[in-house]
Amino acid sequence: MSFSNPAAFLWALLAVPIVIFYFLKIRMRRMPVSTVMFWEQVFDEKQPRSIWRKLRHLASLLLQLLFLTLLVAAVADPFFDSDIREQRRVVVVLDISASMQAPSENGSTRLTSAKSQIHQMIRALKLRDEMALIVAGGQPRVVCGLSNHKRTLQVRLDEIKPTDGPTRVVEAVEIGRRLLAGQKNEEVVVVSDGCFEGAAELAAENEIVWSQVGTPSANVGITRFQVRRSLLDPITYQVLMEVGNFSDEALECSLDMNLDGELLDVIPLKLGPGEIWTEVREETSVRGGVISAQVKWEDDLASDNTARAILPERQRIPVTLVTEGNWFLQRVLEANDIVDLTLTTEVPQTLPPSGVLVLHRSIPAQLPAGNVFVVQPIAATDFWDVAGAVAEPLVDKQDKSSDLMRHVQLDNILMPEALKLIPKVDHKTLVESISGDPLYLQISHDNGNVLVLSVNLDQGDLPLRTAFPIMLTNALSWFGEAKGELIEAMAAGHTRDLQVPSELQKVAAQRSDQLLLTAPDKSQQRIRVVDGRCMIGPLDQTGVWQLSEINSDQTPDADSPVVSAPVLQICCNLSDPTESDLRIRETINPRQELLTSGFGGRPVWFFLLIAALLLTIIEWLLFQRRWVA
Amino acid sequence: MPLFDNYFLTRLEYLSIVSRKVFRGQLMAQRRTKQMGGGIEFADHRQYTPGDDFRYLDWNLYARHDELLLKRFQEEEDLHVYLLLDCSRSMSTGEPAKFDLARQVTAALAYIALADLDRISVYAFANGVLHHFPLTRGKARILSLMQFLESLSADGDATNMTQLAEEFVLRAPRRGLALVLSDLYDPAGYRNGLDVLRHHKYEPHVVQFHHAAEADPKMLGDVELQDVETGDSRKITVTENHLRNYRDVFQTFLSSVTDYCSAYGIGCTVTDTGVTFDKLVLGMMRASGTK
Repeated sequence: MSFSNPAAFLWALLAVPIVIFYFLKIRMRRMPVSTVMFWEQVFDEKQPRSIWRKLRHLASLLLQLLFLTLLVAAVADPFFDSDIREQRRVVVVLDISASMQAPSENGSTRLTSAKSQIHQMIRALKLRDEMALIVAGGQPRVVCGLSNHKRTLQVRLDEIKPTDGPTRVVEAVEIGRRLLAGQKNEEVVVVSDGCFEGAAELAAENEIVWSQVGTPSANVGITRFQVRRSLLDPITYQVLMEVGNFSDEALECSLDMNLDGELLDVIPLKLGPGEIWTEVREETSVRGGVISAQVKWEDDLASDNTARAILPERQRIPVTLVTEGNWFLQRVLEANDIVDLTLTTEVPQTLPPSGVLVLHRSIPAQLPAGNVFVVQPIAATDFWDVAGAVAEPLVDKQDKSSDLMRHVQLDNILMPEALKLIPKVDHKTLVESISGDPLYLQISHDNGNVLVLSVNLDQGDLPLRTAFPIMLTNALSWFGEAKGELIEAMAAGHTRDLQVPSELQKVAAQRSDQLLLTAPDKSQQRIRVVDGRCMIGPLDQTGVWQLSEINSDQTPDADSPVVSAPVLQICCNLSDPTESDLRIRETINPRQELLTSGFGGRPVWFFLLIAALLLTIIEWLLFQRRWVA
Repeated sequence: MPLFDNYFLTRLEYLSIVSRKVFRGQLMAQRRTKQMGGGIEFADHRQYTPGDDFRYLDWNLYARHDELLLKRFQEEEDLHVYLLLDCSRSMSTGEPAKFDLARQVTAALAYIALADLDRISVYAFANGVLHHFPLTRGKARILSLMQFLESLSADGDATNMTQLAEEFVLRAPRRGLALVLSDLYDPAGYRNGLDVLRHHKYEPHVVQFHHAAEADPKMLGDVELQDVETGDSRKITVTENHLRNYRDVFQTFLSSVTDYCSAYGIGCTVTDTGVTFDKLVLGMMRASGTK
């Protein structure tokens, strides 16, 4: 037998004061009394046994010394050498993916069953055995390093919550193997329902102890759901839907679509066994919100029955068109549902906020501040000079990387004439002719943005081509900083590098952790912003997440920060067919090594403490009880 | 703190006035003695024995019953009050000490008697009479008595009531009221001594003193008890059970004192040291007045 803490034997020196106090104690207190005749009457009635009377103080001393010996030995933590030789180190990988929320055979969820199995393993650990816990969610994480403290393991295990995301069991097993590198008697135990790619191969490995939970069950789930605004039509949006039947039988169900709770459509579905139904639908709406789709079919996994996505709201743009008359330009702007058009022949001095001024031919010497779209400028300004005209300009270069040129193809468009512009400030040429003259250029200055189209609209077929309204739509979106074209719904368990919305840029610049991400269950986490971007995720709950600004008066460590209204909403969907597929392909019999316990499963010090407690009870019964009996 | 301070003297005068107004002739003052002698007030009869004075034969009774009976008359004279103060070491215990209260009560009773023209004498005793304040009368003697009481100390040996009584009856020439102020912790028992007084025609009155720690001790565990009178010690281990038994034994002792006194018509006052002397004396006078 050895001791983990031999220095604890120094506590044995406490025997010295115990002995001293013993001798002090047996020197009885002398108490003068008026007479002892009454006490003699009391004690003459019940004479104590003389032998016990002589030995009881010595017995008390021996009991106290024995009590001290047991305590010191317990603190020294004795252990048997066999405990070291047979010491095992176990890493338990727990699958916490969405599929683990499906019911198990005993009515509880698969995760609950898995936790019960792990609790059983913890209880069965021998004294020197060590265990580590790794959760395999979207991001494998060690929740408890190797420890032989059962209570810690149990608390950490109980703190594990299910996620709506996928699982990365293979990566978690690799982490476990690294934890056990160089150890003897090591084991990696995987507790999972096997609903992930490569489960069968992993279970077949000899080094892996597989613990299966759950029973096969049928499920219908939405595996893809995205919404985006049409790039051609300002009010049209497209919805991508994919629904899978993860059962072995054909079924009929419906898919309800809502926009902020308002029913948009009900789509009846007939799905064959294992069929995946995919469809892209187009709808129109100026307003934005949360579009949700819900599968109406009773199954065992709720997290994939509803999917959500953000439909960006279209902001109406006040556009002032200054022209002597151009029917095409006017009609294109009037046909745009998000444009509030004002026609005039006089150049206004100021523009409304977020408004756009379209100048056709009428060019003031100094452009007003704000967003200005100039078509066919016939006069020079601060930004350019006009040096005549360019005949038959052919498009040579087109900046396809620019959002302004998205879906715009000008190669085959007949343009008889354009003005020859000589920019006087920094600019970006979006379309350039063979002669090198800019046909469409972008100027950003301190007071606003300017787009200049030098093509003569009265000649040629540019106004008749689809490129023209697209160019104008792109320009209006660019002036409006292209808000809300597509806010992609994230898949659970994934991360995204997100551009912080302009409303939060200033806040983030002041303090990098001033943004707060609120989960669907109202839990919150602070988000760090670096260079105007922030990393969101991995998101472990399906639903709508909200990015908000924290009240600037609060300290960064405030527990319940007050936040502003959400500035950005992010939808998170399961979107993982492997998680939605609750059919367990193979049943793997778990090995039972961990289910056997050692001697009492308790350390020696535990039994020493029990013995010390018994001694305390004996001492009380023999001595202390007499004072109060 | 002096035993007899101004406050004590003030209370003493108050007690004297109260005793004259309310308890006149009932405890001591202006009480007739039971001394039979040549007074004019008939007391009772007794059998004639040769040598008796023929003048006191009741000839009427002899004529009726043919029996010689001698008439007895109560002698009218001032009352002799004997204050027997226990000076054994056991009286020094308690807080305040039993001895201090006993001396204050002695002084108070003596003052009341002197104020009513009675004669008082004080006997300090332990295992016999240790000190003696001779018979005296008149209020002016109270100061001498106080000096005498202040000079006493509770350092006598074990209480011996029998020895006290036997010495006292030899030294006290006249019968009278014998007030015994003691804790009565006599290893041989207090009854024999009181019997001797009673048999010698004294009128005993017992004032038993004890303190709270004697009636309800608190010590627990291993203790060595030392008898302050005898010096005997006893090592014991005291439990709550023992304390309960002790309280029962002590209450039995106090009950035995009152029962004994009641059986023989002896005045009895049992008190702890928590009361003041004036309240105690008033209580004694009230108790005597209700009999």
